[in-house]
Amino acid sequence: MRQTKFDYQAGLLGLSLLIPICALPQSSAPAQPSPPQTAPATPQTPSAQQPELPNAPAPVQQPAPSSSPQQPSLSDLGFTPQQTQADPKLQARLNKRTEMLKIHQRLGLITLAPMAATLITGPMAKAKGHDGQTIREPSNANLDFHAALGGTTAALYFTTAYFAIFAPKIPDNPKHGAIRFHEALAFVHGPGMVLTPILGAMAFQQEQNGEKVHGIASLHGPVAIATVCAYGASIVAVSWPIHLKFWEKQ
Amino acid sequence: MRERKTRVPHPRGVLVFAARVGRDVSLAATIAAALVVAAQSLAQTDSTWDAGESTLSYHMSHPMHEVDGTSRAAKGKGICHAGQCDFLIAVPVKTFDSGDTNRDLHMIEATRGAQFPIIQLRARFPQAEVSAPRIHADLEVQFAGQTAHYSQVALQRTQQGNAVRITGTIPLTCSDFNIDRPSFLTVPIKNEIPIRVDMIWHSN
Repeated sequence: MRQTKFDYQAGLLGLSLLIPICALPQSSAPAQPSPPQTAPATPQTPSAQQPELPNAPAPVQQPAPSSSPQQPSLSDLGFTPQQTQADPKLQARLNKRTEMLKIHQRLGLITLAPMAATLITGPMAKAKGHDGQTIREPSNANLDFHAALGGTTAALYFTTAYFAIFAPKIPDNPKHGAIRFHEALAFVHGPGMVLTPILGAMAFQQEQNGEKVHGIASLHGPVAIATVCAYGASIVAVSWPIHLKFWEKQ
Repeated sequence: MRERKTRVPHPRGVLVFAARVGRDVSLAATIAAALVVAAQSLAQTDSTWDAGESTLSYHMSHPMHEVDGTSRAAKGKGICHAGQCDFLIAVPVKTFDSGDTNRDLHMIEATRGAQFPIIQLRARFPQAEVSAPRIHADLEVQFAGQTAHYSQVALQRTQQGNAVRITGTIPLTCSDFNIDRPSFLTVPIKNEIPIRVDMIWHSN
């Protein structure tokens, strides 16, 4: 009889062992047996599963998870102190740099207007007529207008350049990307902006002396065109790649 | 000769038997309950996770530009305990590369990345979801000196051998972190700067 009781208790114990095994798939891993299709993509899904998950967080906006010893901390990740330390000086440099480059950008775009106007008025400030024909001198108004536009362009251009050249440099920051083309093109339009007014002055002097524009002064026009092209390409380079989609709602 | 004890039938034998059975059933129920709890806690034992190859990318949209900045320097650690998983992902702001140094420096300036050099992302979700194909996590993002919360963000989970790949998009916006939207040609970028997460996790 005693043995029978032990058998009975052992049977109960065995049964009790079977209960959690049978219960486990229902209680611990509800997502595993269900196919992925059954899980809707919407955030409402967890609230539908909530009753099955006793430890699931509430679907409402939850406050910040409180720090506890069970939560990993930043020091666990192996960042060096240099990586995590704030650098107010660098932030100040970056702020100043951005401020100066914003002015550089605005002035650069403004410069484009008198530059284009100077290029357009160029032919109007040029003496016309072939060899053996009567040479038609440009009017003083045309000459003055062209020279004034050129002077404005040069002033704006060099002011624009100042804000780029003297913007704080960030150390350990090798340049790559479109900015390299933008800066490389400065070596074309920069000298161009120095040469163009000099050649223009030489051409004007030769015309004033009743001479046909000759020698290096005859390159005033081509140098000006090359300068404007390089300048325009420089603007496009820093904006590249351009995806025009102004029609799309912001 | 050894005396053999014989069982003497009790006058209230039926009642005693019922009481014994009742005691045994209650004992069994207690054991069963204890085993259920033990099995549950066994199923949700402490586990830790470390991030392997990771890619975090932000997407910036402007009428003239669509830019993606990517960082592969993210580090992460996760701890699952008592039915709850807490993960921390951190990435230095300056490691995001958009393909243009000038833009990256401007991004660091706009997001106050020198003052607050690390983006921290804490994710919390039920441990039961750790093996589910889709995880819904409550996220806390510390970025640009501000903290924002995103609840029930859906993340995809894919088993890749011994590792687990987690992908998803966190719907960050500039306004969540008081970031002045950078502008180009006087047109500011879109407020939305979603962060795409693609991380490989290894369980320890």
